[in-house]
Amino acid sequence: MLRDARDYQILFLSLFLLLGLATRDWTLKPAAIGVAIATCLLTQFIFSIIDSRWGTAAPATADLKLPATVLSPARSLPVMPGLRAVASQPLNWRSPLISALGLSLLLRVDHLPTMALAAFVAIASKFICKVEGKHFFNPANLGIIAALTLTHDAWVSPGQWGEEVWYALIFIGAGGMVLKRVGRWDTTAAFLGSYALLEAGRNLYLGWTWDVWLHRLSSGSLLLFALFMVTDPRSIPNARPARLIWALSLAGLTFILRNYFYLSTAVFWALFLLSPLTILFDRLWQSERFNWKVFAPRKPIVS
Amino acid sequence: MTKYRSIWTGLLGAIAALLFLTPTALAFCGFYVAKADTSLYNEASQVIIARNGDRTVLTMANDYQGEVADFAMVVPVPTVLQEGQVNVGDPAIVQRLDDFSAPRLVEYFDPDPCEPMMMFDEAEALPAAPQATTTRGRAADGALGVTVEAQFAVGEYDIVILSAEESDGLETWLIQNGYQIPTGASELLQPYVRQGLKFFVAKVNLEEFDRTGFQQLRPLQIAYESPRFMLPIRLGMMNAQGAQDLVAYLLTPDGQVELTNYRTVKIPSNANIPSFVEAEFGEFYGTMFDRSYERENKEVAFLEYAWSMAGCDPCSADPLSPEELRQAGVFWLAPNSSIWDTNVYVTRLHVRYSRDKFPEDLMFQQTNNLEFFQGRYVMQQPFLGEATCSAGADYRRSLPTRFEQEAQTLARLTGWDINDIRRRLPDVREANFDPNPWWEDLWQRSSQLLSPVVHQG
Repeated sequence: MLRDARDYQILFLSLFLLLGLATRDWTLKPAAIGVAIATCLLTQFIFSIIDSRWGTAAPATADLKLPATVLSPARSLPVMPGLRAVASQPLNWRSPLISALGLSLLLRVDHLPTMALAAFVAIASKFICKVEGKHFFNPANLGIIAALTLTHDAWVSPGQWGEEVWYALIFIGAGGMVLKRVGRWDTTAAFLGSYALLEAGRNLYLGWTWDVWLHRLSSGSLLLFALFMVTDPRSIPNARPARLIWALSLAGLTFILRNYFYLSTAVFWALFLLSPLTILFDRLWQSERFNWKVFAPRKPIVS
Repeated sequence: MTKYRSIWTGLLGAIAALLFLTPTALAFCGFYVAKADTSLYNEASQVIIARNGDRTVLTMANDYQGEVADFAMVVPVPTVLQEGQVNVGDPAIVQRLDDFSAPRLVEYFDPDPCEPMMMFDEAEALPAAPQATTTRGRAADGALGVTVEAQFAVGEYDIVILSAEESDGLETWLIQNGYQIPTGASELLQPYVRQGLKFFVAKVNLEEFDRTGFQQLRPLQIAYESPRFMLPIRLGMMNAQGAQDLVAYLLTPDGQVELTNYRTVKIPSNANIPSFVEAEFGEFYGTMFDRSYERENKEVAFLEYAWSMAGCDPCSADPLSPEELRQAGVFWLAPNSSIWDTNVYVTRLHVRYSRDKFPEDLMFQQTNNLEFFQGRYVMQQPFLGEATCSAGADYRRSLPTRFEQEAQTLARLTGWDINDIRRRLPDVREANFDPNPWWEDLWQRSSQLLSPVVHQG
């Protein structure tokens, strides 16, 4: 058994990546994956240093960004304060790796610098776009939006997973395992359930046969998004009611953007637009913040 | 280096005949309807979609084979079209695009392994040409809650643009106005009516048609502005028994087009195949396409070509001139621009769709993917002259392995019997004159290698 739920996530995302590369007709270059991983890790490292150097005087919530399982052994070392701070906090490599894998799975680029840009924005946003120590953009999602809007070089291929059932089963199985460990299955269920209902309503109204509905829902990309991106526990509301409302809004907005604005990237835009609402929801529903630590419950942050 | 000669032979009319044998009933994005109960078959529909931003020019090739008097078609369109937005195009332009983007057979010749080598290229293109678009359908008459938004004549066509509140009304209107539409049309028209789509209905004005002097109906072109980048295929499958072929040429300024609700898969390409395939390339490609289609569970679109319009390598036909591109609907190109300035990217998608595997209409998106792709098959013609040197003998010995590989590739791509293929491979043994037996070479080389060592020692 792996210690951290993120290890499962890394395992499954890598599996999907390999599966996709081997069996799907992807325009994904291995170099792009390398660039995504390297940039994400490097950005995380640099921002961690900056953060620890200038962030020591920052709000006391800073410790929440640190991985929990390791105590700081370097506290007593006679080194410069900055370096000491760096040494005292092991590099959080799991989260940036997950973001990098997410980007590789979803984003397609013609040139490598575009991938580097997406990866940089993704990780930098965790350090810059945060309120009371909690980042509110899903890093990979923001990276995708940045690449789509800032460059003329990136795209997302929502159709390229196809709709084979066995993929869906693998996604749901793997996603279920991760979500169960993270405890955020409610978000996925609310999102997928309400989105399916909305699409069913539309299908009924338009008078399409039900295979159209099934076809629209059995897209590998949608499941991947619902199981591995929407659910990032660090960037969604903390309290369950807030998460449910948030997931419903996400489904609604996705539905509108897809069916009335004909955006093939509807889910990513919906998540991007709704992410800032997390702050509001966290204020309205105070609850314990998610932390990747398995055993260390924390008291509420928001006062 | 190598005396290297490339001649490439295009994919020919043969392919058209052989590739699309599937008997099909109705056409792509609407139904072609005939006023009598004539059964008309289409082999493959062809459309050109030129799109930049929300602006779209859709060209529907018309290869209708039945009585012109019976022809009519109904296509859902996103906006009301006025007279100026409809045009009758030149059928040659579809052919040109087809020739230009068709899967191609390339031929290379091995040099004489015993001759000093020079290099030159020679390329020569044969016209390529698949597909015929025809269709069958029936037509009929019309109804209630239906608004005639516009009515005009363009070339040999009489056009009516309809909007409807309910599909029943639309069905009745069509029936009352003399279109005998397929049973169950109302049910299928409903989703389009409720999405607020309009209906483009065309039939032939016989007097005008006679006056044009054309033997065949010319393609209809429509220009509209809409964020929807899609092609309705469901109507065309209403009475279809089997699968139908659609070849779409998508012209965009920035890069490849792909489907967003089905997978887009590259057709197997760059395979070395035995040279006897040249005589039956059409059959080869058709079989290979069938096999790929089966392998992908019949539910993907195949990418056959994706390239900038400013070039090609090898070219299966001359690149289209800016004027021709404008005829194909590329409205963002200035009339007299240079051929090298054309920011036009062509994507050729070949979709074989059937009701059970393609429940939804085709949705497209333009990507910024600038990767070039073409369906390309290579014949490497062996040098079968006399081998008069040891390199020649080595070359000879290498040939059977190479032929075997090519045979296996061909068998894998087409499913043809490997033994049949092997029987048709060139026989290299009878000409296999070897002036230097292998041992001679061995001793010679050994003595050469040894001598410096001996000297040094």
